[in-house]
Amino acid sequence: MNLGDFLINWIANAPVTAVPYALAALGLIVAERSGVLNLTAEGLMLIGALAGAGTSLLFVGHPAVALLAAMAAASVVSLLFAVLVVVLRINQVIAGLSVVFFCQGLTGLIGTLAKWQNKQLSGLAPLKIWPLSEIPIIGRIFFMQDPVVYLTILIFIAVNFLLFKTMLGLRIRAVGENPGAADAAGVSITLHRILAIVAGSSLIGLAGGYISVVSVKLWVTGMTGGRGWIAVALVVFARWAPWPALAGALLFGCIEALIPHVAAAGIQVPQYLMLMTPYLATIAVMIWVGAKDSRGSQEPGALGQPHVREERR
Amino acid sequence: MRWTYIPVLAAALTGGAAIAYAAGFTLPAPPKIAFLYFMDKSDGGWTQAFEEARVKVEKSLDQQIVYVEGVPEVAGQITPAAERFIQRGYNVIIGTAFGYSDTFKELSNKYPKVAFLNASGTTNGPNLESFYGRTYESQYLCGMVAGAMSKTGKLGFVAAHPIGPVNWTINAYEMGALKMNPKATTTVVFTGAWNDPVKERAAAQAMADQGIDVIGQHVDTPTPQIVAQERGIYGTGHHRDFREFAPKATLCSSAWTWEKFLAPELKKVAAGNWEPSPYGAFPGIKEGGTDIACCNAAVPKEVVDKVMAERDAIIAGKKIFTGPIKDIAGTERVAANASLDDGGFWKMDWYIPGVITQK
Repeated sequence: MNLGDFLINWIANAPVTAVPYALAALGLIVAERSGVLNLTAEGLMLIGALAGAGTSLLFVGHPAVALLAAMAAASVVSLLFAVLVVVLRINQVIAGLSVVFFCQGLTGLIGTLAKWQNKQLSGLAPLKIWPLSEIPIIGRIFFMQDPVVYLTILIFIAVNFLLFKTMLGLRIRAVGENPGAADAAGVSITLHRILAIVAGSSLIGLAGGYISVVSVKLWVTGMTGGRGWIAVALVVFARWAPWPALAGALLFGCIEALIPHVAAAGIQVPQYLMLMTPYLATIAVMIWVGAKDSRGSQEPGALGQPHVREERR
Repeated sequence: MRWTYIPVLAAALTGGAAIAYAAGFTLPAPPKIAFLYFMDKSDGGWTQAFEEARVKVEKSLDQQIVYVEGVPEVAGQITPAAERFIQRGYNVIIGTAFGYSDTFKELSNKYPKVAFLNASGTTNGPNLESFYGRTYESQYLCGMVAGAMSKTGKLGFVAAHPIGPVNWTINAYEMGALKMNPKATTTVVFTGAWNDPVKERAAAQAMADQGIDVIGQHVDTPTPQIVAQERGIYGTGHHRDFREFAPKATLCSSAWTWEKFLAPELKKVAAGNWEPSPYGAFPGIKEGGTDIACCNAAVPKEVVDKVMAERDAIIAGKKIFTGPIKDIAGTERVAANASLDDGGFWKMDWYIPGVITQK
């Protein structure tokens, strides 16, 4: 085992770890750009993971159907959150946390009743982009990943275009930046916020479905293991901009993939130091973001504030 | 004045408890037994092993045993779950998590007429007994199978946390492997979580990339076994017989046999004069902790025979951690002709030569 093989194995495994963070963070950015503080990622990822696993067991050999089911299920459950915060204007932090706890209980219950736990799923074969996959080193790292890895890049391009180059994107951002002005201009706050939550949640569901259907190929109660919370942190870290979120997700993916490879290679590093590296990286980047001047931040102006027409502030 | 009652009450409680301890514990009524499960009953591992034992114990005691699932290691959730059973007349409460230890201690003081048992707990008392299995015995046997079946001599072990009960399984695994292949090594990856299939898969894949061809485990999901099956290598399971999840890859498993411990223990509780061990119960293969679920058809008969001969020796009293045992640094941990005492197991923070791990 030489250093070259070690590096290739490590970097080639990073995208699989990074994809759930990237998709979940992007889904949260879409919702938060409309002014809704969204903490539901951990719960909706579980919904996506369970729906994906269940569908994968029912329709064996159709991972695409399973991933679509994961997106749909998370969107449907997110309607509950949307009604709570947009229609009933409940505190967004409390509503988000309750949705997470609700989803944790619901997925555990359904997974147990349906006996989906620990059943092996068929998974999704890696896509070899021939002949590029035959190039040494680069082929293994870039052209032998599973299809969702490539899809994730396309999704980022599409969402970026939608948010910043279309009328719909402008309206969503206006609703998040200054809902009073948007309302006066005739843009429906309720409609655009619900739309942003539901659309964003489908990406969070895909992130969860990816973990169960593609990455682990198994459903286990509570299997997202706090990754939704890391996505919430990534949004702040990326200052509500899609591309930095992708970069942050890749950074986390690289670090998380490094830990087992270092240990399996028998390299003598204190393991607690290794296990804390993702969090050290978070703190380091937060300090860096904080030290930079804040003009670059795209934090939505009305984030976390329910909109009541003609209410004085 | 309400305050005046307190000394009387305290005297009654402590006095009553002291007498009960001296004479053994006797239930005031026929036993009604309830389990608090840490996870859901079909978690595939730790909790499901209890669920399977519960059904067998029900038959052997000829009475219904109830349960509640998914009680997390939080006092605010354990106490109401236990008290609901106690109010409904249940007087034997069995917990299933390390994190219940302190709450069970408080509950056992508050309800001196209820018997408490807790798996992998650390607290004991006149009406409270913690219990855990000597998992190193069965993991030693699994290590023998792994050592015999590995072509490269490189074994892997996916573990959760570097604590005593995990460290002893790692050392025992390597000891078993060395018995069959004197050059065998065991590379350990700690995931830092009992139940994180994402990290378990990453660990098992990294091991396969390194040429490791048998993967043992002390984590809760069967993920390492499934990875082994995908990569065409072998593995050994933990908690239950993991051939259920990876029939080709899983050679054998270190599986809980709680019914062998719980049925006689609960009969003692029912009979009266139950004397919980002040240091907790620590059953081995013989008394019903874990046993080896053996073996996959891929394991040759002569290997199975050797493993089963060792199993018989362990049941007859052979102690695996018998000196001289040195750790990686060369420090003597068990002197020649001595064997490790139970305290030494619980505080084990060293590894034998041949174990490759981070510090």
